[in-house]
Amino acid sequence: MPDPIHQFNLERIFPIHIGGWDLTFTNSALYMLLAVLLTTAFFVIATQSRALVPGRLQSVAEITYDFVAGMLKDSMGKEGMKFFPFVFALFVFIFVCNMLGMIPGGFTVTSHIIVTAALAALVFLTVLVVGFAKNGLHFLRLFVPSGVPIAILPLVTLIEIISFLSRPISHSVRLFANMLAGHITLKVFGGFVVMLLGAGSFAALAPLPFLMAVAITALEFLVAFLQAYVFTMLTCMYLNDALHPGGH
Amino acid sequence: MSPQERARFERRISELGDRLGKVRSQRDAGEHAGAEAETTGRGMAYGMRMAAELVAAVIAGGVIGWALDWVLGSRPWLFLLFFLLGFAAGVLNVVRAYERMQRDYAARGGGIGHSVPDGD
Repeated sequence: MPDPIHQFNLERIFPIHIGGWDLTFTNSALYMLLAVLLTTAFFVIATQSRALVPGRLQSVAEITYDFVAGMLKDSMGKEGMKFFPFVFALFVFIFVCNMLGMIPGGFTVTSHIIVTAALAALVFLTVLVVGFAKNGLHFLRLFVPSGVPIAILPLVTLIEIISFLSRPISHSVRLFANMLAGHITLKVFGGFVVMLLGAGSFAALAPLPFLMAVAITALEFLVAFLQAYVFTMLTCMYLNDALHPGGH
Repeated sequence: MSPQERARFERRISELGDRLGKVRSQRDAGEHAGAEAETTGRGMAYGMRMAAELVAAVIAGGVIGWALDWVLGSRPWLFLLFFLLGFAAGVLNVVRAYERMQRDYAARGGGIGHSVPDGD
């Protein structure tokens, strides 16, 4: 049976060693670079004409802008637009990486937890830095909900702190697990087709897993978009806490 | 118009009506299936989200407790305490996520089901 995990292997493309650090350029790095280059090229070309009545490409660019801007304004109001460059880059990067992973034989950057954890840590640190810079020690009110009796306040505060610290974990695990599970399922069903075809008269059953693989591919495209959306939406939610702590 | 012509005309009208009805019902079924698939995808996404919220908080609590034990040498008591606190935090996360989900659904225009078609 074809190995369903093989697609996640990191391969060294050309080795780079700087001062004892292994900074080897891998296929993961290649796909990240590809995602950034594709995105940049797309937006540069799409916004080239700057027409009042947008063409097809410009429409796509404008819809993407409106989509992310809408998410920001929904969760934080006008104030949230300060975070627009950060959130927009995050959304487009994850979306393009997920979509590149859907190309047969491609590599899914977001199926590695180290990548999603780095993105989640970036969001988490942004929340901390912006939260303390804007609110000072008032930011800590996030952990002290109002209207709780003094007797159980320490306990509740402790639980709130753990809840806050669990955010980067769930934020990164969700994206990683979805992409990993989806791609493995797809590969396993693909493997069934090959195995059945090679099993004599059982080959007649081969179309069944094949149909399933087709259906899962469609679902995977939906998941690829949905997970980029969910990641961005939660980022907006967490950034809102940095601006308005205690506004549960 | 002669009576024959009128009859032919009416037959054609009714045939056209039948054909149109068939096309319309096919299109509606297709749209319905699309909406269904999207609801399934969304449901799976929300399900995964809830699971991640709960598990992440338990892990966070466990790691904090374990680290404190390691520093203070009080194994295994703080680990057990923070593991339970982590579970409480996980439930809190899930309740908050659910509340938010409800609000989003309400904002998107009504319940979890399909939207009501406008009568045109």
